[in-house]
Amino acid sequence: MIDFLPVIQAAGEGAAAYGDFPGVGGRGAVWIAAEVHLMFAAFVLGVPMFAVITELIGIVVKDERYDKLSKEFTRLLVFAYSATALWGGLLLFFLTTLYPRFWGHLAEIFSLSMWIYAGLFFIESFTLYLYYYGWDRWSVGRAKWGHWGLGILLNVWGTTVMFIANGWLTYMMSPPEGTTVQGLPEGVGLWAALANATWMPINIHRLIANAVFGGAIVAAYAAYRFLSSTDPKERAHYDWMGYVGTFIAISTFIVLPFAGYWLGREIYEYNQQMGITMMGGFMSWLWIVQAILIGVLFLAANYYLWTGMGRIPGAERFQPYTKWMLLVLVVCWIAWGTPNTMIASRAEFAAMGGNRHPFLGVLGVMSAKNTAVNIMILTTFLSFMMYRRANKRPTVTWAKTGSLVQTLMFAGAAIVVLFYGVYGYFVPTIVRIGFSVYQVLAVLACIIGVTVIDVLLLRGAESRGEIRWGEMPERSQYAIFVLAVTFTWLMGLMGFARSGIRQHWHVWEVMRDTSDQAFTPALGYAANMISVCVVIFLALVAFIFWLGGLAERGISKKAHPMAAAMPAGAPAAPEA
Amino acid sequence: MWKTNLKVMMVGVGVIGFYTVVARIIPQLQSDVPESIDLSSGVTPEVLTAAGETLYSGAGGCTACHGLGTRAPNLLTDHAGEGTIGQRCGEREPGVDCKTYLHNSLVDPGSYLVDGFTPIMPDASRQLSNDQLWAIVAFLQSQGGDVTVTAADVGSGETASGAGAAGGAGAAGGGTFSATTDPGQLLTENACIACHAIDGAGPPIGPSFDGVGSRLSAAEIRASILDPNATVSEGFEQFAGTMPTTFGQQLSAQQLEAIVQFLAERR
Repeated sequence: MIDFLPVIQAAGEGAAAYGDFPGVGGRGAVWIAAEVHLMFAAFVLGVPMFAVITELIGIVVKDERYDKLSKEFTRLLVFAYSATALWGGLLLFFLTTLYPRFWGHLAEIFSLSMWIYAGLFFIESFTLYLYYYGWDRWSVGRAKWGHWGLGILLNVWGTTVMFIANGWLTYMMSPPEGTTVQGLPEGVGLWAALANATWMPINIHRLIANAVFGGAIVAAYAAYRFLSSTDPKERAHYDWMGYVGTFIAISTFIVLPFAGYWLGREIYEYNQQMGITMMGGFMSWLWIVQAILIGVLFLAANYYLWTGMGRIPGAERFQPYTKWMLLVLVVCWIAWGTPNTMIASRAEFAAMGGNRHPFLGVLGVMSAKNTAVNIMILTTFLSFMMYRRANKRPTVTWAKTGSLVQTLMFAGAAIVVLFYGVYGYFVPTIVRIGFSVYQVLAVLACIIGVTVIDVLLLRGAESRGEIRWGEMPERSQYAIFVLAVTFTWLMGLMGFARSGIRQHWHVWEVMRDTSDQAFTPALGYAANMISVCVVIFLALVAFIFWLGGLAERGISKKAHPMAAAMPAGAPAAPEA
Repeated sequence: MWKTNLKVMMVGVGVIGFYTVVARIIPQLQSDVPESIDLSSGVTPEVLTAAGETLYSGAGGCTACHGLGTRAPNLLTDHAGEGTIGQRCGEREPGVDCKTYLHNSLVDPGSYLVDGFTPIMPDASRQLSNDQLWAIVAFLQSQGGDVTVTAADVGSGETASGAGAAGGAGAAGGGTFSATTDPGQLLTENACIACHAIDGAGPPIGPSFDGVGSRLSAAEIRASILDPNATVSEGFEQFAGTMPTTFGQQLSAQQLEAIVQFLAERR
């Protein structure tokens, strides 16, 4: 009888390689749980980055406004943390019950790292509680620095936790050579499985993306509080907070494509077919959708900056340029969103004279797309510089020369980008690919050079007038919501791209998905799933925001019993 | 306040709806799982060619590069005035016939690199089984040439690339642990004997393999492996649904046939 036990177990395991979930199926259930967990995880990893940076600024410049902002970020974290853990637990249950064979394979290889992960999660949680609840107790002198150190530790634990989880998911994309369904080859240990070919590019990409995402969600929180408030002081605070969040989101977002290039290159180097599937195979149309989303991001960010200039004295001198900048952004957006090859009927192919449109086909190639995206980055950077310079008048002796050099840097970068964009049409593919590096370098050099000159140029600059924080048109706050929703949707889309390139493999070329949902769905189905995840996430975030407001009202009533009795819109001292 | 909430909600729903609609109106391409080829009824060039066409334009992923004229040579249309691939494959390398050239190009793509292109193609045997590789060869031959691939080519796993063929079979099997066609080893590797008794020993979770050839025909054995829940043997109703339904995907055609023949002979 004893001999029969493993036999029956084996039979059971064989029968239960996959479970089913009502309605959306096993894959759908795991998809939703994983994506919503990831969105919360990105939020709780991104926000602490700002919290420590803004707290440090507050300590150094001795401005309480930054400290208040940092604490407000952290209060959102406490609520979001529970949601992250709950969705993580749900994902674990779904994986163990719906994909037991695959989960068994992962557990066989990564069990030690899973235990460490759980342990670090505990430590991270306790550090967060200490950080938040110790805020007022450790608020001055050395104790404040100790408190800031807790914020650093919180980031260290969070980043380590993310790196471990990234090891598991990147193993699915790029397992070490020789891995079989039974496990790792002899001589290859846990570290090699974790630190696989795509691990570090994903780590860096996610680290930056978390900062972008955290900034966007914090800005959306500020926008909501701005719209809900009638108190000028409160509106001024949330206007400023929304600006800081949006600034961080957009400035880190500009760096994100470079991490994306690195990840793409590693994917190609690991396996050409996976890379081609991602960029040129059935997923090629995904990048058109991505272009549309990023175009919306650029337009919304620029719109926010342009409307924000309405509350900055001296910004009027830049207003005439914005319509031309809008034109440039829209033209570039259209070029970027043009598909390379058309999927069409035979009659349509015949009418076009091939699978490329005779005119639009020219815009669909990499030369045009790279040129478009780099010009969009330059235009957005120009908007930001206009915003930054609006209420300042340089007083340094070399002000005119400095401004001229900055203008030449912009013009030079644009010329380099356009030159290589056009030249790319006359050289072979392999040469053309290399041109994108020159274009990117020109834009980066411009951003760094212009910023450095600007910082020096504006030292001791005269003010044309203070920024009137809080006097922001309400429509500008809806642009912030568009940014937050778009970033969230984009995260879902990129998650589908990363996971979908494995196609019908749980672990690439090691463990095949033999379920009836092994096929990789088309974008329409993926879009439905992404939208469901985004709606769930944003609904829960809205609830957390509401809780945040509720908690704050409770605190302010206790601290200032008269505050509740004060009429809305009572005079308040400007914060900035 | 409710007005603000409503406006915020409308902006959110509008943006999400816009992206969903955009993603739904563009061409919908789905990545299917490569189909396995059933050799049990005797493969013909027509069957291979049809299967190869499906793989070529679908799960094989060939069209991601071949046909755009930029990443890889066109195969279904003229390339450099040499005609379609079926017309030119026999002339590409001195002393190498068409089907060998095509098979080698699939399992060792760097061996015959066409001028003007970079070696970006991966070894196709890592993704496709030996059967599937030969099916693609047959399809490519049919593009302007004669199909010379036969059942004998498909059956000989060591034809052009022993390692590649073995790897491909293993890969196609997913849960299969080797490319063996030894029925005894296959019954062990696939845990068949964990439920079915053989030579008088083993658990009574499924019907015994002893004498199965006298109870069922070869076709019935094959059907009960591929679709085990279609018919449940008398006396084993309580274990209905226990047997995995994935052997059709896990086993290569040769492996399936090896098991079927082995069991059919156990009278």
